[in-house]
Amino acid sequence: MKPRLRLLSGKPKPKSDEPLLKVCGVRKLFPSGGDYRRVLEDMEFSARSGELICILGRSGCGKTTLLKILAGFTPPSAGSVSVNGRPVTTPGPDRGVVFQEDALFPWLTVRENIAFGLRHKMPRGKVKTEVDRFLDLVGLSEFGDYLPKEISGGMKQRVALARVLILKPQVLLMDEPFAALDAQSREEMQNLLLSLWKTLSHTILFVTHDVSEAVTLADRILLMEKAPGRIREDIRVDLPRPRKTDTDRFLFFCRQLYEGLKD
Amino acid sequence: MPRTPSGHTGWFSFLPWILPGALILSWFAASHSGLVPPYLLPSPATIVKTGYTYIFSTPGEAPYAGRFLSDAAASTARVFTGFLAAVVWGIPLGILSGRLQVVNRLMSGPINALRAVPGISWLPLAMVWFGIGLKTTVFLVALAAFFPIYLNAAAGARQVNPLLLQAGAMMGVNRLRGTFAILLPCAMPHMITGLRLGLGISWAYLVLGELTGVPNGLGAVIMDARMLGRIDIIVVGIILIAIIGRLSDTLLNHALRFCFKSARRMA
Repeated sequence: MKPRLRLLSGKPKPKSDEPLLKVCGVRKLFPSGGDYRRVLEDMEFSARSGELICILGRSGCGKTTLLKILAGFTPPSAGSVSVNGRPVTTPGPDRGVVFQEDALFPWLTVRENIAFGLRHKMPRGKVKTEVDRFLDLVGLSEFGDYLPKEISGGMKQRVALARVLILKPQVLLMDEPFAALDAQSREEMQNLLLSLWKTLSHTILFVTHDVSEAVTLADRILLMEKAPGRIREDIRVDLPRPRKTDTDRFLFFCRQLYEGLKD
Repeated sequence: MPRTPSGHTGWFSFLPWILPGALILSWFAASHSGLVPPYLLPSPATIVKTGYTYIFSTPGEAPYAGRFLSDAAASTARVFTGFLAAVVWGIPLGILSGRLQVVNRLMSGPINALRAVPGISWLPLAMVWFGIGLKTTVFLVALAAFFPIYLNAAAGARQVNPLLLQAGAMMGVNRLRGTFAILLPCAMPHMITGLRLGLGISWAYLVLGELTGVPNGLGAVIMDARMLGRIDIIVVGIILIAIIGRLSDTLLNHALRFCFKSARRMA
């Protein structure tokens, strides 16, 4: 087995039984026509370091809103979020986000996009070696000088992944990042994500509406219900990795979750 | 048949020359047949000769001889100064009003009202304020160029994809760097449009500013020639302003592309 590279070295590593990410009683209201719409209610969960958690729910259940709160883009109406014991109030490089849509800077090359967060933070030579390493990790070594408009959707999401991983985030927040890709690229990206996770062992919160994607990836699945959005079930997926999508156990999980999503 | 990259056959590259060519041909025909008397429109040959004298002859040899360089220099300096003032005010104010509701609310009323005032109505006031000469011209040029630059910068800043700003914040970019490294590049295509429109208008208002009896400049030469009935000089002046205006547009475009990645890669 490959040795695990510790990305969190240098930072105080939380004890394994103490959660890295804690969400306490988070609630979100949106004003709508003089009244309020409850989008999230009593969200309560935590994630341990190195866990891969999928948040599964149908569209409109507030899973993107939850991710935005975790990222620090919007404040919760009540409750709190903390990472490593520190409360989340603003966006920051300890919580890398991979968006659903293309959010690369169109005027920068792949290489410059990946280096964006590192600039002015370390000497140039070091930035270059780091960028080379991450280009290699996401399999884009030969595309460093391409512009985003010149590469495919799947490659763009690889760049999006590399530019946050290079910042060594404590938590990786992913908002349906592969939803817009075709079936083959999606599978490729899932495998890439799993192999990166194995190498870099970061904590991942992965939002999706795709049941089999959740079962393929997750250690734990948080099943969300709609209006107001809240966690209905917290399911541990104890399938061995690498997972085969055609085993009985896999299909059992999928069926169970599918039923859970229905009502 | 050879095809250009855009997939058109060779004749396509001649397309831009057809209208100017036809215009010059009919001009030739009109003046040779005596349809149009020379005191209304001199023949192309006269224009070429006058143009040559105006540009290349030694000063003093004939009226207007060899004045081109000093006139062009004076006019270019006025346009450049006025345009620069418009950029210095227009870009920051535009970006601010595109991003901040407060600034937008504060500015949009007066700016839209002033924008509706034709530039020429400022001329008498400018003459009272600044006298005749450089200052009046620069004032008019700056005023006219300000609006397109301001409005396009504001539109560009307003239309920035919020996702890109969020991406920057998520990567730990502070507000200052976010402005220069994300906001401005995002707004670049709009800003380029504004700058090019502004520069074009600058040349138009240059002539207006030079109407007022300044001794040199391309606009001044045109007005001067009208008094003396030298139609050929007027036509030469018009052609030269057209050429210099076109050149300065190309130059601006290249300069922006040279200086900014976003101008190179997003246009």
